[in-house]
Amino acid sequence: MKINLDDPNLTAYALGELPEPARAEMEKAVAASAEAQSFVRETREFATLLETDFALELKEAPRKAINIFPLPETTSFWSDARWLSIGVAAFLAVCAVVAAVALSGLRGNLQTSVADNRKTVGMPTTAATPAEVQMELLAEATTDRVIVTGSYIPTAESESALPVSIYSSESAPVNGLNEADKMATADYGHFEENPFLAADTNSLSTFSIDVDTASYANVRRMINAGTKPPNDAVRIEELINYFAYDYPQPESGQPFSINLEVAGCPWTPEHRLVRIGLKGREIASDQRGASNLVFLLDVSGSMEPANRLPLVKQAMRLLVDRLTENDRVAIVTYAGSSGAALPSTTGDRKEEIIRALENLEASGSTNGASGIALAYQIAAEHFIKGGVNRVILATDGDFNVGVTSPGELVRLAEEKAKGGIFLSVLGVGDDNLKDSTMQKLADKANGNYAYLDSLDEARKVLVAQVNGTLITIAKDVKVQVEFNPARVASYRLIGYEKRLLRKEDFNNDKVDAGEIGAGHTVTALYEIVPRGAGSDPAASVPPVDPLKYSPPNPMAVASSFPNSSPELMTVKLRYKEPDGDQSALLERSLADYGAAFENASSDFRFAAAVAAFGMVLRDSPYRGNATLAGVIDRAQGARGRDEAGYRAGFIALARRAQALAF
Amino acid sequence: MELILTAPAEPDFRELLRRFELPLLQYATRILGDRERARDVVQETFVELQRSSREQADYAPAKWLFTVCRNRALNVCRKEKRLTYLDEELLERRESEAPAPFDQLAEKEARGFLLRIVATLPPQHQEVLQLKFQNDLSYQEISEITHLSVSHVGVLLHTALKTLRQRYTGASRDFLAFTPRTP
Repeated sequence: MKINLDDPNLTAYALGELPEPARAEMEKAVAASAEAQSFVRETREFATLLETDFALELKEAPRKAINIFPLPETTSFWSDARWLSIGVAAFLAVCAVVAAVALSGLRGNLQTSVADNRKTVGMPTTAATPAEVQMELLAEATTDRVIVTGSYIPTAESESALPVSIYSSESAPVNGLNEADKMATADYGHFEENPFLAADTNSLSTFSIDVDTASYANVRRMINAGTKPPNDAVRIEELINYFAYDYPQPESGQPFSINLEVAGCPWTPEHRLVRIGLKGREIASDQRGASNLVFLLDVSGSMEPANRLPLVKQAMRLLVDRLTENDRVAIVTYAGSSGAALPSTTGDRKEEIIRALENLEASGSTNGASGIALAYQIAAEHFIKGGVNRVILATDGDFNVGVTSPGELVRLAEEKAKGGIFLSVLGVGDDNLKDSTMQKLADKANGNYAYLDSLDEARKVLVAQVNGTLITIAKDVKVQVEFNPARVASYRLIGYEKRLLRKEDFNNDKVDAGEIGAGHTVTALYEIVPRGAGSDPAASVPPVDPLKYSPPNPMAVASSFPNSSPELMTVKLRYKEPDGDQSALLERSLADYGAAFENASSDFRFAAAVAAFGMVLRDSPYRGNATLAGVIDRAQGARGRDEAGYRAGFIALARRAQALAF
Repeated sequence: MELILTAPAEPDFRELLRRFELPLLQYATRILGDRERARDVVQETFVELQRSSREQADYAPAKWLFTVCRNRALNVCRKEKRLTYLDEELLERRESEAPAPFDQLAEKEARGFLLRIVATLPPQHQEVLQLKFQNDLSYQEISEITHLSVSHVGVLLHTALKTLRQRYTGASRDFLAFTPRTP
């Protein structure tokens, strides 16, 4: 048989796809043709080449793909797939309800494999709906044994009627509700939302400002990946503060303006919503003092994926592009050991800086502490008086070598921060993001914390708002609100749960608080129950018993003798100049003339929509009638100028959350 | 009623997810040209796997998953009026576009070089190559997934390999990646 090299069957033969008897025939024909033999050999070689490249493509694809189920580590090359799957098990349970059919299949499996295992156990006989069984399997199988409670009928194999461990240890555990928590190592410090407090017994509310925005970018990442963000990852004040608001510039000589507004509360119409908006003085880029920056970059193995070290490098390049010969940059890396990858170098030597950045590669484990010490040392050596002195830490936060307790790390940074060097924390990555550690680090070390989920976000933090990120206008900014119990029955601070201060801390200059950067806006919302609004949420909390020996609380007296002031509240702010030790005080009062929500400023309405979004995501008990549809609607009507498109992005995000229906 | 319990079916599911999630994602990405959409499609595919009667899927999971994934990806294309590899129009446009020069043969050694050539092939060729060489599926399975006859699959693979080899061994024209676009 004459061989035709363009015969598809020859390729099929080479690939082992030709069925008998055609295969045997082809074999004979090939044996007779040197040309065909080399074709077959080349085809096979080429196939191997292709398989290799296709396999590499899979291996190099972004690790985190879809969120169905958390997977355990395995030794296969899939093992790098990390899983962040919270609430997915619940979703599967829903699927189980939909598909009772699946269960019948499952039962079939259960029955048939008994013979193999010789291990059986009775199941509760009462009303095991498909969903329950499925849930039970998911939940219980996370351990290597199933513990069944309820009444069982003993079987031949387990006459004792005791729960019997049915999973031999070699059987892979099934991931379920519990496992989801174990697998995802992302760490969000737990917090409860601020409750309503009665204005007569708690007339002062004190907190530190927060300019962090990390929670928003992080929440956005999770929603875009189709996952419901865990409650503790949703910090409402960070969502609100992600957006810039059009507050006026401060009067000359003051570091920031204070902008108060009150209108109806959209999610609970009987309540009022108060907004406290601060805006830091803007500083033109050409008026920025010289900068002394130290990039402290995590180059541990976990930083390898494209959305980590490579993103950080790109982000740093954005920043480097804007530096001049007056500025200095050093690069310190930390992994198993730390070192300076670039000594402090002036900003005009961009090629050198960029080359040093490009040469960084991710490998090894992470020792955050020694890197931090070195970075602060270099920053101190090149300290520019009156300039910007800042360490910029970029990490996925997975500190796993050396000083690893968050407390120790935070103390170290706090100590270093005393020398007038500020800190910016840029978080990247997803599965092992130690969100709470990074937030604390930024908080204690006079810093800000942003989460970079994309180059766009890097552009926002390091280009569009670079002065806000780099230049601190005022530090230790504290807010204290005194409510007028004659007008306010109770109030609730929305968000800022981790920023609360004791009322005594307000005047204590030793107590650290948040920083405000150039042009930054900081917004806080209070939900207020006006006097005479009917049901008062704080009233359901049993008040403390009257004191037997001390005179009654003067505030309580105040509320029983209503004053005639129309004022709702007085807002006091304390702040320090960036290099100062003594705080200054600003004060503003606010009266409520009953404005409807619809008539509030677009900034007010937008901030309210973002707050409602956060409460819906958290499934907050205070969400009232808030829905994602309402959020989208209100945000639509409050987009304002939105030049950078952030508000449009928010609306798109809310839509996506709505489509995911969680 | 008495239920006898042993290891539930979920390990299979997890095994399938582990085994096929990335290949499916890669497959759907090639069809859709958009990783985000592809991710949705793969997610839906696994959700459907959860819901479906498992007989089919258990018997031939690869075939089942790729078929469902493909159908869903094509649905997205239709819904969003994306040009897919089924559209003549796109193929024509590709032909009319000037081929990009490619002269850095040093890059031939680079990883992924071959895949860049794969991206210049007609989409249907890319699909069968991917099913065959990334997912080790047989002609028979590919035929069932793509609704083409086995011999048609054979012709596609043969032609695809031939073109690929030609381009690999020195051709420097027509290096143009296939990217579905919305019109």
